[in-house]
Amino acid sequence: MGKFLLAFLVFFPFAAALAGYLTGRRSKAGRDALVQASCLLELLAALGLAGSLGASFSWEGFCGLGLHFAADGFRLTMAVLTAFIWLLTTISSKEYFAAAHNRNRYYLFLLMTLGSTMGIFLSSDLYTTFVFFEVMSFTSWVMVAQEETPDAKKASGTYLGVAVLGGLVTLMGLFLLYSRTGTLEMSALTGLAAQTADKGPLYAAGVLILVGFGVKAGMYPLHIWLPDSYVAAPAPATALLSAVLSKAGVFGILAVSCNIFLHDAPWGDLILVLAVLTMVTGAVLAVFSANLKRTLACSSMSQIGFILVGVAMQCLLGEENALAVGGSMLHLLNHSLIKTALFMAAGVVFLNLGTFDLNRLRGFGRKKPLLMFVFLMGILGVTGVPLWNGYVSKTLIHESIVEYIAAAGLSAGQAAYYRWVEWLFLISGGLTVAYMTKIFVALFVEKNPTEQQRYDGMKRYVSRPTAVVLAVSAAILPVLGMTPGLTMDSIAGLCRGFMNGEAPAHAVEYFSLTNLKGAAISIAIGAAVYLLLVRPLLMKKQPDGSWAYLDRWPRWLNLEYGLYRPVLLKILPFLGALAARFACSLVDWAVAGLRALLFWKAPEKVEPPTDDYFGVYPERPHPHTISNSLAYSLLLFGIGLSITLLYLLFC
Amino acid sequence: MNSAWLLLPVLFPLLAGAAELLLNFKSRRAREVFVAVSVLLTAAAALTLVVFAPRDSFVFLDLGGRLSFALRLDGLSMVFAAMVSVLWPIATFYSFEYMKHEGRENKFFGWFVMTFGVVIGIAFSANMLTLYLFYELLTLATLPLVMHSMDEKALYAGKKYLLYSMSGAALVFIGMVLLMRYGSSLDFVMGGVLPASRIRGNEDLMRLGYVLTFLGFGVKAAVFPLHGWLPSASVAPTPVSALLHAVAVVKAGVFAIIRLTYYSYGTELLRGSWAQNTVMLLTIVTILFGSAMALRTPHLKRRLAYSTVSNLSYILFGVTLMTTAGLTGGLLHMIFHAVIKITLFFAAGSILYKTHREYVYELEGFGRAMPVTMGAFTIASLALMGIPPLAGFTSKWSLGAAAVEAGTPLAWAGAGALIVSALLTALYLMQVVVKAYFPGKGFSRDSVKDVTDPNGLMKTPFVLLILLLLLLSLYPAPLLRLFGWIAGGIL
Repeated sequence: MGKFLLAFLVFFPFAAALAGYLTGRRSKAGRDALVQASCLLELLAALGLAGSLGASFSWEGFCGLGLHFAADGFRLTMAVLTAFIWLLTTISSKEYFAAAHNRNRYYLFLLMTLGSTMGIFLSSDLYTTFVFFEVMSFTSWVMVAQEETPDAKKASGTYLGVAVLGGLVTLMGLFLLYSRTGTLEMSALTGLAAQTADKGPLYAAGVLILVGFGVKAGMYPLHIWLPDSYVAAPAPATALLSAVLSKAGVFGILAVSCNIFLHDAPWGDLILVLAVLTMVTGAVLAVFSANLKRTLACSSMSQIGFILVGVAMQCLLGEENALAVGGSMLHLLNHSLIKTALFMAAGVVFLNLGTFDLNRLRGFGRKKPLLMFVFLMGILGVTGVPLWNGYVSKTLIHESIVEYIAAAGLSAGQAAYYRWVEWLFLISGGLTVAYMTKIFVALFVEKNPTEQQRYDGMKRYVSRPTAVVLAVSAAILPVLGMTPGLTMDSIAGLCRGFMNGEAPAHAVEYFSLTNLKGAAISIAIGAAVYLLLVRPLLMKKQPDGSWAYLDRWPRWLNLEYGLYRPVLLKILPFLGALAARFACSLVDWAVAGLRALLFWKAPEKVEPPTDDYFGVYPERPHPHTISNSLAYSLLLFGIGLSITLLYLLFC
Repeated sequence: MNSAWLLLPVLFPLLAGAAELLLNFKSRRAREVFVAVSVLLTAAAALTLVVFAPRDSFVFLDLGGRLSFALRLDGLSMVFAAMVSVLWPIATFYSFEYMKHEGRENKFFGWFVMTFGVVIGIAFSANMLTLYLFYELLTLATLPLVMHSMDEKALYAGKKYLLYSMSGAALVFIGMVLLMRYGSSLDFVMGGVLPASRIRGNEDLMRLGYVLTFLGFGVKAAVFPLHGWLPSASVAPTPVSALLHAVAVVKAGVFAIIRLTYYSYGTELLRGSWAQNTVMLLTIVTILFGSAMALRTPHLKRRLAYSTVSNLSYILFGVTLMTTAGLTGGLLHMIFHAVIKITLFFAAGSILYKTHREYVYELEGFGRAMPVTMGAFTIASLALMGIPPLAGFTSKWSLGAAAVEAGTPLAWAGAGALIVSALLTALYLMQVVVKAYFPGKGFSRDSVKDVTDPNGLMKTPFVLLILLLLLLSLYPAPLLRLFGWIAGGIL
């Protein structure tokens, strides 16, 4: 049964995608029903997997090394989460795309992406992970490009470029790892770093693999594709990108960190630096953004940073990493649920107004209780307010940092360094509060200077199925947050095996005074940032007396346009073309020289290439083309023969 | 099975092609039947021989001494013969329709059929001398095909092709003479025919001979800097570009190099020497150079030709690793690339045939207009890029893993080159796919309203090739096992 379910979960969506596509050419309604039913079936199958934990499925010989899947607590959780979010977004897609073109294409790739994502989360060796990771990059690319606007084309181009580049670097890392170990089975790689004396190649392999997975997770400095792609993709697709696909990247990072580099402190330090950079950069970008979807996108990046801090602490803490294991797992889960709700709600706003610009959508949320409920739950969740789910996971990660600082064996300098990390963690939490307050105030508090009447009149702004989906996705968040001991701890316990984590020595008192203090500091920082920075610096009074949001982020600070694009698209191609031109001309000049020599004629005038590739041709073709070429060939042939003859005579 | 049968698939198409030229059919129908029957019979004969595999060699001309022309079937011949025998009939049916717009079909099909026999001859050659004979014949038989349209561009390309090939043959001749002088025989024996006792003191001379011969065969395999003829030859009719310049001719070069490396000079002599480093460096340069040039080339067929240049060197890189894993990976890529590239060329040919558009930027919105053609092009592109689970990925993995296993700095550089080239491949092929499927806002349907897929005769090959590709992609295990045996010297 378990075997069958594993195979079904991965391959059924591909079959359903094809069936949906063919149906869609006849009937749109039939296609929508089929796609939704497939997602529901997928969710049921994922739940059914709970009955067969420990099962595994392999397809030997597929693509050479074969595919390997397994079912354990973590994979089960991820599969259920994926199928659940997919179902929600698919239902809301119907309304979102009601007037769109190319829906058939969208659904085709939507379901294929589901299958490949399942393939990643259920994989039990890195080869399988990689195979489905590449498939996912390409199928999700079509979803990003769906709208075909210039922005979407550009963003999807960057998305694909970065994904391909990352995938190839990862492949290189896998080559290296495979040559060292002869296996890519995750369980066989556990504790490899600890057993290996010569760790250099292992770290090299790890870093290379990290690049590909880090790209998808949006890890600094590979995040450049993220804000633009999230903004350009249709809202349901963005929800999936943020809630599920980014987690596929995190899954890969976890698979490496918790197996190969289990309890390996240097690796933990590397991840920690990148994680903190991701967390802070994302938060700062989000504060500066004046676009609802961009804020949410940058927020996703920042939250991934939080998760990765947890991952880093797992490696650093070694045997005592129970808090970090729980924290990173739960934050992963929470962020998925929160961002699903928020991005879908943002989609509803876009569907009504056709914009994500904070200045234009100001006041839209007034007198719309459902929308306000969804945003409020999401915001309270992500900012880590006690009683909402984000609080639980952030507390766990925060506690793990505190625990590490308190641990024996750290020098004073190191302790100070990690104390800085703790403060950056809290400050990022504060920035989260600030940017979320910014969008909440814009949507629900401020009035629109021109359009408020019209906005207030929009009562039927959301269809019933979408409303139900939104309400469900938002209501889960406080339920989880208020029952941490009951729900969250057991989920964390379920997932511990995958990360080779230890069980906590005692249950965590989530609502104790010390733990509440962290949340309070973050919220205080957030309030200060919002009042002292966002309002005075990022807003400007307009002639008509209202305040407008400004995007003050300097363009030259954009890594993509400031560094990657010039280097990759200008400098490297220039050098490459120069080298190629030189190499090409070298041979052609030699040929031209030979012709001149052998045909006993003045050298023909050779003009620079007018052709599309670098070839240098004589101005006119030679009049007696064939005879000359035969003569020439015979001549060469003769030379060859006589050399041989001379050699045979004298050697 | 009597080994004399080996002569059948070599001689029959030569005679049939010559007869076709002499008969000079007036009716298209009669010619098509005649050509189809000869090609199918030849393919069937070759495949039957591959299956029943006569063990002995068949000497059809003895020149006395150690010189003889002989045919023999071993594991490597099987792979090459099977590959061309499967793809030749598909290309023939495609050509029936395509050649309508090129004209002078009698001449074309005569040489087309004769070339089949020559290629099978290369596959079945039992020794270097026979290989040399058929290798030269191949140049001559394909020359009329390259120059088919007989305009200035085609004549220029044909001349360039002849010039490059003949110079290459001269180099091969030198290597062959050295082999004759020092080797125990000219026969192909896994492990080579140069025992250390016979060449003591002359190792470096033999290595020089190897490098020269490699360059000679490298002309057909389009190794930088001898690749120049291949992009120019893309003026030939598309079936020629597809079958000869992506499969038969260029892979004959690769095949000859495998024979040379593993069966004549032997890896024992070469592994770790300057000769290995030289040729491996050339393949690495070619991999990068070909991909980079493909990206720079807006002409679709020429872009594919440069892509072939690069991909042939993927195979050669595997071959020059001189390990079992390397040869296995190389052979795998040889088969996969053959199927993929012929599909890509056919797609380019269909576009050319239906619309006379040749440049990448002219293909906006073709995804909707030519669903079968562009669908096949897209799948083949993804496969060539090496997107798992499609075929190119498996071969890229095998090659990369083999390179890393070999572990020398140069092999590492080669693995890096494979990765960079895969990125370039993605760029130069996705450009086309994106243009076709995402023309973007402001694109007007009117510009492609007359564009449709070609008729069934041209569409069926796409379906067959894509099915073949998917089959090879999902079940490469038997191939891997077979190539493992060949590389291990068991077959």
